[in-house]
Amino acid sequence: MVPFYFGPPHKPLFGCYHEPRSGPPRQCGVILCPPLGYEYINSHRAYRQLAVRLSHVGFPVLLFDFYGSGDSGGDDELEGIPPHLSDISTAIDELRRRAGVAKVCLVGLRLGGTLSMMAGAERGDVEGLVLWDPVIDGRVYIREMTTVHQDLLGPSFSRPKHGTTNGTAIEILGFTLAHSLLADLETIDLLAIRRKPAKSTLVLESDGGGGARGLSEHLKSMETRLEYQLLPGPRIWLPDREGGLLVPAPTLHSIVSWIARVQP
Amino acid sequence: MDRTGAAVREEAVLFGQTRSLVGILTDPPESIKNTNLPGMILLNAGIVHRVGPQRLYVKIARSLAELGFVVLRFDFSGIGDSRVRPDNLPFERSAVSEAQDAMNHLGSARGMDRFVLLGLCSGADMSLKTAWYDPRVVGAVLINPQGDQQDAANELNAFAVDRKISRYYWQIALRNPKSWLRAVRGEANYAAIVRALVFQLRHRYARPKRASSGMNRDPANFRSLVERGVRLLLVFSKGDAGLDYFREVYGEELRHLCSGGKMDLHVIPRSTHTFTFLRDQGRLLGLVREWAQSVTARDLEVVREAT
Repeated sequence: MVPFYFGPPHKPLFGCYHEPRSGPPRQCGVILCPPLGYEYINSHRAYRQLAVRLSHVGFPVLLFDFYGSGDSGGDDELEGIPPHLSDISTAIDELRRRAGVAKVCLVGLRLGGTLSMMAGAERGDVEGLVLWDPVIDGRVYIREMTTVHQDLLGPSFSRPKHGTTNGTAIEILGFTLAHSLLADLETIDLLAIRRKPAKSTLVLESDGGGGARGLSEHLKSMETRLEYQLLPGPRIWLPDREGGLLVPAPTLHSIVSWIARVQP
Repeated sequence: MDRTGAAVREEAVLFGQTRSLVGILTDPPESIKNTNLPGMILLNAGIVHRVGPQRLYVKIARSLAELGFVVLRFDFSGIGDSRVRPDNLPFERSAVSEAQDAMNHLGSARGMDRFVLLGLCSGADMSLKTAWYDPRVVGAVLINPQGDQQDAANELNAFAVDRKISRYYWQIALRNPKSWLRAVRGEANYAAIVRALVFQLRHRYARPKRASSGMNRDPANFRSLVERGVRLLLVFSKGDAGLDYFREVYGEELRHLCSGGKMDLHVIPRSTHTFTFLRDQGRLLGLVREWAQSVTARDLEVVREAT
């Protein structure tokens, strides 16, 4: 595994490149697009495990951080949606160059999935797409984040009403969400996307209430080879009261098996 | 592996005996580079990877680099992107050994031989343990250390639990209408309420005998560090179990240690254990920056006197 910075000098992105370790030679690389904010922190452990598992069945994998997130450059005042789509394109170019592959699959959890689908639809050259509990409606996402913030900090010695907003941004569990990003998030509606995001798409849902089945129905109207899987399990992106970081082995197994099947 | 940013420079590094430890080295801008300053090393907060809770370690690293420090934040084996160790070394020993690997790396990569360790929660505890073992450590920033609670006497653990429950009922539940509603409906935990009341009354009026530190090794080790001249900054969130532990184990000695000028202790009110609110992150960053600058000033005086 090689940790490195890439992308334009004024906008460095951090990535970990996991070279293929074993298995048959693959013509396709996999890019893991993480969620943002506290969901990024909580899911990093599972993402790393996913990268290792994919590399062990022969895929070159790039796990990267969006600009303004994780180890990448930029502060927490995340920009709007378009720069994040541009980050995915930069990551695709980097993986193609580094691994010598032409084909790429994208895997994204929560907002990482949403951005992956938007990028795939915009670019038109993504082979496989895994949408793992994607954010389908931006307004619902903002509401959920606000609720988690209140629920988690309500019983603490801190008072949520202090410092949760400053006029130009709101604060969600220690991360700033600028109003410009909020405005972009509010416009997210994956059901409004009409272009095929990838040749093959896997939609994974941890519980039945996230609306992913509806997204699957919507995707069926496009020419993507679609698979929907309901895999009951913990919502790993949420803060765990015991401070644990969960790795859902069945979900990771499903993702690896599916990618290996559609990209033999 | 490196990339020049606008202000500070960040570089991804692999180091350690099998080059399996993943870290980010943050260098100050060339214009303020100062080779007399100690290197700063940030140790994982629990199992959160090297960016820290709420990306706090990224902010601390960049902020310290803006003051001229070289900062390394990295993942212990099995955390974040660092591989699991092939041996069965217990975490407390492997963490110290890997913190020493980080010092060795800064020594070879940047020519440094003095270090300040910084960590939150278990990162603070490992900073303290490493400082005991390695004389290259000249300072430590301990944020919500939890102390040697695993080895502490049961009496001390029971005291910490009682105090936490008591604080919850007196400071939160008492002022929360929902809690009153639950009490009226018969849904409250009455045993816990009685326990909290008894604890508070005993604590206020009876001044119970201080819980025994039993087999606890912290105080002696801590004192020896201060006597060695290691500069310490302790920052606690008010209400954190670690603060209760330190107050109980050290008692008045905490004040004596602070009065010697070798140790600073600050309590941030209404903060969570990991400084969730931006407001509290700002306070913490301010304290760390201020302390680092004051240590720098004193260190430079020592260097000037020596030359």
